[in-house]
Amino acid sequence: MKSSRREFLKAVGAAAVGGGAVGFPAVARAQARKGVPSEPVKVGVLAIRAGIAAAVGTAGLRGTEWWAERVNKAGGILGRPVQLIVEEESNPKDTVERYRRLILQEKVEVVLGGISTGVTLALGPVAEDMGAPWLSWDGTTQKGVEETMPNPKWAFKSVDNEFEAIVAAVLTAKYFKGIKTVAGINNDYSYGHDCWETYQHVLRRYTPDVKFVLELFPKLGVTDFTSHIASIQQAKPDLLMSSFWSGDTTIIMKQAAAVGLFKTMKAVFTTGGGVHDSLKKEFTPEGLLLGYNSMYFDDPKGSALLKQFVREYKAKHNEYPPYECDHAYFCAESFKAAAEKAYASAGQWPTKAQVVKALEGIEVESLSGRRSWRGDHIQMCNFFQGVTTHKNPYDFVTINPVEVMSTKVAMKPAGGKLLDWINATFPLKG
Amino acid sequence: MSRLVLGVVTGVILVLPLLAPAYHVLLMLPFMAYAVIVLGLNLLFGYTGLVSFGHALFIGIGAYTGAVLTTHLGVRSLELMLLASAALGALIAAPVAALCVRYVKIYFGMLTLAFGMVFYTFLLKFYRLTGGDEGMQVLRPTLLGQDLGGIPKTDYLVGPYYYYSLAVLVLAGLVMWRIVHSPFGLCLRTIRDNPTKAEALGISIVRYRWSAFVISAVYAAVGGALLGPPTGNVDPTLAYWTHSGNIVFMTLLGGFANFFGPVLGAFVFIFLQDTVMAVVPYWRLIFGAILALVVIFAPTGLMGLVARRRPAEVARA
Repeated sequence: MKSSRREFLKAVGAAAVGGGAVGFPAVARAQARKGVPSEPVKVGVLAIRAGIAAAVGTAGLRGTEWWAERVNKAGGILGRPVQLIVEEESNPKDTVERYRRLILQEKVEVVLGGISTGVTLALGPVAEDMGAPWLSWDGTTQKGVEETMPNPKWAFKSVDNEFEAIVAAVLTAKYFKGIKTVAGINNDYSYGHDCWETYQHVLRRYTPDVKFVLELFPKLGVTDFTSHIASIQQAKPDLLMSSFWSGDTTIIMKQAAAVGLFKTMKAVFTTGGGVHDSLKKEFTPEGLLLGYNSMYFDDPKGSALLKQFVREYKAKHNEYPPYECDHAYFCAESFKAAAEKAYASAGQWPTKAQVVKALEGIEVESLSGRRSWRGDHIQMCNFFQGVTTHKNPYDFVTINPVEVMSTKVAMKPAGGKLLDWINATFPLKG
Repeated sequence: MSRLVLGVVTGVILVLPLLAPAYHVLLMLPFMAYAVIVLGLNLLFGYTGLVSFGHALFIGIGAYTGAVLTTHLGVRSLELMLLASAALGALIAAPVAALCVRYVKIYFGMLTLAFGMVFYTFLLKFYRLTGGDEGMQVLRPTLLGQDLGGIPKTDYLVGPYYYYSLAVLVLAGLVMWRIVHSPFGLCLRTIRDNPTKAEALGISIVRYRWSAFVISAVYAAVGGALLGPPTGNVDPTLAYWTHSGNIVFMTLLGGFANFFGPVLGAFVFIFLQDTVMAVVPYWRLIFGAILALVVIFAPTGLMGLVARRRPAEVARA
């Protein structure tokens, strides 16, 4: 395959800086299907590469690269090899510019990626304006907990931000009966506030007399929780709830262990599984509720695909994969399935509009199991949470039992208002 | 810069939407917005000798003014957005400037940085008012009373909005040219070069510095208002200190000693960032190295390099 100057520069740049611009993976020689052009199908990827969420963006990118290698080894999409064009997700202004570059300059067929809701709120309307499919990994177009784009044509969005807080509240009621007082420590931005509010609403439905005695909102990226932990100790709650998802989970766990915080209270980390293999046994106790978002790498009921991915990911990156890989894999795989589905009826490489139509309601095998797109372009999948255990061959905690909850039962329906739906779905107990 | 070069550059910019790919025309939009911003910043930096690390505050004022007007108050006129941004920028700059211009050098820089971060924190924390980290939507504005909602957004941006931004930049450039070549501009340069002598000549240093600060804030707010519609959303990072750093970088890159230097710096910054980002994942390293090289080897910026080769011509600019 002939490489352009740009691709050559990419490879040189990546080699020079040790970084991750993506060249061509190995492609099995395959004949393009009738009516399908032979040149590579360009897939745009937006991934965070700097700052607190760089690890998450990197995981998503690795998941996409693994998908592309796998697809190319199998002969591409309808015989067309996949070529990834990677751009950086940063702030809304710059990311919108990179998105436009992918569409207008690189002429990609689809854009995958987007993690920060602050960014994806801006990307959604731009995707609609530009008339090209955009499949968000982990970003929504929610303002707070309510949807701003209920009927998109081109934008496909992630699971509602507050979903894992709902799951965690349901499981709190199940595993930690008799909880009377709860403290919350969540990041000081919309995700942290929304998760905390939602968690309180749902938990109150199960235990109406529960009291929320303390709420703390440290800035995202804080590395010293000494004062926060002192406040929690003083408040003496029965349980601590947190929606931390990045390195701050590890830090607070270490600092909490130093003062024996979880010897006196239970804890729920709704999204801490984002940094699961940094939660070492030496400072992460058993008996906490821990959420892994949409993919649990050690799922005993996991598919052969998941096991292969975990094995190869560990071999290549010396880490166990976090959930973002699954969001990314699903987005890419659903695009492939939609292109093939649209081809079956069109008899030629589908237009972007045909791909979008085929995506609606499509269900594919992802790393975590079967996943689909709802009619209003929201991801449907399972979320994994459970109780931490040390009984495993790793040096970090895993969960047992593993609780699996589907977005079909614990996420507000299309067009629904969150509080109305919570009140209708979770009848008051007690 | 000779009038011939200026004429050719203006001509190229005028015909660019007809010749260049849409994406490159779209990149000209942030360039023109930043060009307005750095023209104002350089009144303070290059002509008055005060380096502000907090001008993103005023960019944020302009951007959020546009967002509030279009999404909450139903005002879609870009002319009104620009006027309101300028007025609000001046209103907020007046007391900020009064406090800041009493200091110089690092103390001035730190004070402006502090005010910028106060506003950033306000945007981030007052969620119900500002949208917090999720920011605020900017609806498509009307241009000269024309509702252009019927045409695709990209066509709107590379056509009418492009020429509107260009007109604002040209107007801002002409006004700034008059300012820096007026007795007022001469006083600013005197204050920069020898404040003691300026004071002895009867020039009120604080008053002149205050005026330069407020004018530069108005330019930043107008540029900020122009940045909002292409993205369709504004967010607190527009007011973050690194954004203030970017515009100082643009000014240094182009050269603060020349009227057109910061504008060239904005252009090179935008297009260089675009290219480097597409090639190297760790583009910030490259930019850091470029900044270091500029400061060490070309302290007068790109225009300074030109001036070394063509001293007579550039001196006339």
